[in-house]
Amino acid sequence: MISCKEFIPAYSELFKFLEKKGGKPAVLDFWNFLSDTYLTNLRDLVAANGIRGCWMYWSQTLNEEAADFRMELDEEAGEFSIVMRHCPSKGLLNGLTHMEPYADYCGHCDVLYRRVLEPLGYEYLVDLSETGEARCKVVIRRLGRSPSGG
Amino acid sequence: MTKQIMDRAAADNVYLHKDFHRALNQALIYVERVFGAAAVKDYLRQFAGTFHAPLRRAMSERGLDALKDYLADVYSDEGADIRIETIPCGREPDELTLHVKECPAVSHIRKMGLTVSPLFLETVKTVNEAICSGTPFEAGLLEYDPETGRSVQRFRRIAGRPR
Repeated sequence: MISCKEFIPAYSELFKFLEKKGGKPAVLDFWNFLSDTYLTNLRDLVAANGIRGCWMYWSQTLNEEAADFRMELDEEAGEFSIVMRHCPSKGLLNGLTHMEPYADYCGHCDVLYRRVLEPLGYEYLVDLSETGEARCKVVIRRLGRSPSGG
Repeated sequence: MTKQIMDRAAADNVYLHKDFHRALNQALIYVERVFGAAAVKDYLRQFAGTFHAPLRRAMSERGLDALKDYLADVYSDEGADIRIETIPCGREPDELTLHVKECPAVSHIRKMGLTVSPLFLETVKTVNEAICSGTPFEAGLLEYDPETGRSVQRFRRIAGRPR
């Protein structure tokens, strides 16, 4: 069995495997497939609950993944944000001395979530500039209204 | 309408995100669909060969005791009902059999009402074979029920391999 705790290294190795098979397009194709078939729960939650659906989705996943984070929901402004102080997935990969993480490992977060949220009418902004330290920032904003909710 | 904040440290929670099993299942389905069944095995070999390098080293040094510790940890983390039998030979066992009543990964995927990849057993068979590769041991999957993931997995010293 590949356990939950071993999934992240398995995921990273899969990206390397796919890139060897078909270059970056093969990796992107898989990320699109995964977004469409795996993130159905995020899609359903946001479709049913609006921006609160993001809060509901990440409340579960980030706690189950024991992340070090702060997240904020402002329903009136139509905005949800995550400040990831230590991503457990990237942190785990950075800590493995016997294997090299996939170079664009964190790119999957951008592709998977953007593909779900943009068609639902949300802007997805992600700052991946500090993923070397397992940190990132995400802002999801409902489009069509000003940030102040007007 | 409210403003809500959640602030958590890693130590506030236990790391157990069972839905990763569903993601792995989707990955196997994708790789089989696009590249074929052999590619699924190639991928799992690549993963296990890289990730389990420290375990393979430990097995070469400590024998099946190292594998026993690993299996007990992995399955107990996920609350699985397992039994490990060893056949002793001198100071360390020469054969280890793992009985898994129900695979936590398969049961999670089924609970979500999803189809389990027909190649999901390779996460046991191919991964175990890759773990043993380059060690004095070999792996065999004696029983596997695709419905529940119930399995009997055997690891034993290859005849003639020195201790």
